[in-house]
Amino acid sequence: MTLALMSLLLPLASALVLLVLRARSPVLMILATLGSLIAAAGALYQVVDGGEQLLALGGWEPPLGIRFRLTPLSGLLLVFTALIHLLVAFYAAASRHSQTRHTDYWPLSGLLHASLVALWLSNDLFNWYVTLELLGLVAVALVTLAGPKAYRAAMRYLILSLVASLFYLLGVALLYGRYGVLDVALLASLTEADATTHTALLLMTLGLMLKAALWPLHLWLPPAHAGAPTAVSALLSALVVKGPLFILWLIWSEIAPPALARDMGFIMALAGVAALLSGGWSAMRTPYIKTLVAYSTVAQLGYALMALGLLLYWELPELHVALWLFVLSHGLAKVSMFLAAGEMQATLGSKRISALTGATQTMPVAMFAFAVAGGSLIGLPPSGGFLAKWLLLQPLFAEPANWFWAFAVLLGTLASAVYVFRVVALAFDRAKPTRPDFDPHVLAQWLALIPALLVWGMALVSQPLILWLTGVTH
Amino acid sequence: MAPEWTQLLPVAVVLSSLVPGLLIFTLREHQVGLRTALNLGGVLLKLLLVGLMLWGVSQGLSFRFALPFIPGGELVLQGDALSLQFVALSSILWAATTLYAIGYLEGAPLRSRFFGYFSLCVSATVGLALAGNLVTFLLFYELLTLATFPLVVHRGTPEALRAGRMYLAYTLGGGALVLMGAALLHLLAGSPDFTPGGYLAPLVDDNRAGLTLAFALLIAGLGVKAALIPLHSWLPKAMVAPAPVSALLHAVAVVKAGAFGIVRVVYDVFGVEPVALLQLNEPLLWLAAATIIYGSLKALQQREIKKRLAFSTVSQVSYITLGVALLGPIGAIGALVHLVHQGLMKITLFFCAGNFAETLHVHRIREMDGIGRRMPLTMAAFTVGALGMMGVPPIAGFISKWYLGLGALETEYYWVLGVLVASGLLNAAYFLPMVYRGWFAPPPEHWPEDTGLGGGRGGIRETHWMLLWPTLFTAALALLAGILASTGISPLAWAELIVAREFES
Repeated sequence: MTLALMSLLLPLASALVLLVLRARSPVLMILATLGSLIAAAGALYQVVDGGEQLLALGGWEPPLGIRFRLTPLSGLLLVFTALIHLLVAFYAAASRHSQTRHTDYWPLSGLLHASLVALWLSNDLFNWYVTLELLGLVAVALVTLAGPKAYRAAMRYLILSLVASLFYLLGVALLYGRYGVLDVALLASLTEADATTHTALLLMTLGLMLKAALWPLHLWLPPAHAGAPTAVSALLSALVVKGPLFILWLIWSEIAPPALARDMGFIMALAGVAALLSGGWSAMRTPYIKTLVAYSTVAQLGYALMALGLLLYWELPELHVALWLFVLSHGLAKVSMFLAAGEMQATLGSKRISALTGATQTMPVAMFAFAVAGGSLIGLPPSGGFLAKWLLLQPLFAEPANWFWAFAVLLGTLASAVYVFRVVALAFDRAKPTRPDFDPHVLAQWLALIPALLVWGMALVSQPLILWLTGVTH
Repeated sequence: MAPEWTQLLPVAVVLSSLVPGLLIFTLREHQVGLRTALNLGGVLLKLLLVGLMLWGVSQGLSFRFALPFIPGGELVLQGDALSLQFVALSSILWAATTLYAIGYLEGAPLRSRFFGYFSLCVSATVGLALAGNLVTFLLFYELLTLATFPLVVHRGTPEALRAGRMYLAYTLGGGALVLMGAALLHLLAGSPDFTPGGYLAPLVDDNRAGLTLAFALLIAGLGVKAALIPLHSWLPKAMVAPAPVSALLHAVAVVKAGAFGIVRVVYDVFGVEPVALLQLNEPLLWLAAATIIYGSLKALQQREIKKRLAFSTVSQVSYITLGVALLGPIGAIGALVHLVHQGLMKITLFFCAGNFAETLHVHRIREMDGIGRRMPLTMAAFTVGALGMMGVPPIAGFISKWYLGLGALETEYYWVLGVLVASGLLNAAYFLPMVYRGWFAPPPEHWPEDTGLGGGRGGIRETHWMLLWPTLFTAALALLAGILASTGISPLAWAELIVAREFES
């Protein structure tokens, strides 16, 4: 547990140091993130080796105190978070075109990292409220780094985030009034299927879905993610929206009464399908590069929501694995895609997709990164996205009555293929390639490629990873 | 324990083109010598390794390499008789095409990118041939789509991009369908190794709906690449690619990958009896027959050489599907042998079309008048290919049609004979005028544009030697495959061996 706390405290402390000293040095933050990654890996090793660990903060036991819980899955998420932060930090420090080189990005990303780690480690409804609030505020602050033109999107993000927190808090208050505890493990054994519980769960779900930008509450996401500086967009899409999803997953699979969970699961799965289709449709049509990538996040979250909904609806534990594989592979692929898109946008001097004409000649590595990451989003074998989709598809084929869902996955796949390849095809146009405004920056392009290679590299450990996840999520 | 060499050989066959391909990406445009060395080195190494594997299989060795991938489905590369036939075909034709492409693209821009993807494309094809189960097949099937796309759009013109988009729309859609079908079968039976006679027979009684859907998904997905109607439209459009790409696309890589997949699915996944029990072969037979006639009719209407050849491919590749759907051993021999024969003949024809275009800028059929006097060797190769396609003995195409006809008689689909005869007549109707024009029509005053490649005179110097020699080589193979059909080293003998193994179980 000490190691998990280290993974939390290193970025937090460094962020505070930067704030106090008014320094904006990338070096400290990169070192802290590296330290956090090592600590997280150690924590993961311990929890895999020795089993789940609990830590009562301040020595108070629940229901009075709050406690952190390190499970194998949260250990994995610690590693994942630190890894993504590290990859993005390298890019943010190295890219000449990054808007975040010497800005408040560094302390804020440290705070973001720390609040995410706290979220993964918490196991208590109120603690989650605190981490969610922190996460939302830091995320909004990060979006504003893009300057005045992002203020509108940031403001909208802020307001919706606060509203969502209120919904969530209201639900928490109702549950606390009804059962007098907030710890998830304790609540799980107490909940009954009554009106208060139902209302509370629905309110919390509404808040969380809004924060996770799950369809139909996703409309704030594209402007915020597309308007943010590139490194921030990558963090927001890869990590921040996954926090509320994690909470949603835990409250529905642990606290909620089974009958309600089944009904809700069906609705969630339908919303997932709608997200796949509407997100895909918008990504196919938008004229802007980063907006396309942002809509693709909306669509891809549809897979996760579908997996979550169907696992509740059919009570199928296998789908937990699909859900978490989606989260991991989407995170890596999306980092790569946003970094590549942002780098190309900055170098070619236009936000429009049409500016990518001939990009395979002017910026081959970044374009390759975009295509490789896109391959995982489409679910081409043997990428991580393929593994997740494969696991999701298995139960969908079990009975002819379920084939509708498989058809939805097929449509989602085709939509993602269209929006990825509308960019890639354009990049092969040799007729009138867009001349870069700046020298293409080779190192930054390679840094954008690394996460995409990692997500395809998941194939090398796929079988042990799937078996391990099957073991730890059941 | 160190792995045996028999385990590593299939991987080495794939890597022998993959590694040079990746290295070529890193080269600068002007490093012609190194690039050519890498290309030809990869070609020779692959031929050597495939030769070794052929020898090993004839000695009774088995080659199998497996990696864990997903629960119930490993990544398996293995060399059985069927996969070796396809591997041998692709390596030999790749060798010819590489030489041809080096000559064809001399001085053109972006050659490192081209040859990089060219090598990746062949690696994916060979991987697909060696794939030992459905999951592995799916993986290479998708990789092939990705590796081929940059080749189709290589010229980067608006027309090329349009063709490329269409190609992607069809093939990625098809890939998604294959993914669905493979996932469905994986749920029902896991993904065991391809087995002669199939592995789904025990499931037929309880899962009729599931198996039928899986078959429909797989055939629709594979049918895109195999250009079955109504999924064929991408193929004629993809003609805008450079000639070596068209040659490879039509003879080996993409189209054949679809046809090969259909062979695998019918024989080694479902098995002949389950397909017959589920009554799935007749729709497939009708589809193949309709494609054969439709492709020939469309070919007849074309005015451009490459377009006519493209529709001829649509028609000819469906012979393979037709032979498979007959579900009898003799029809199977016809299908498998046609897989090789069509490759040899069609690649020859495309090389010839490329030679005409590069040397004299002849693109349209009416411009072929008298071209046999200016380029007699190329025209002779063209004639071999064209007559072979029509099924004139002793060229390879005759053997295929003979066995397909016998196969139709064996399984009592008499109407298929009518299709074969009609298609033969149509083939003659669209190939003979080209042959006639080439040899007997008077040549024009001057050619559209004589580039003077080679030496500008008819004969061995009629065009660049790198364009001419591969053409003559493949034409000779097409001729030899027919003449030597009854000997032990012919594609026919090998097809008989495969079929004996498939149908004994």
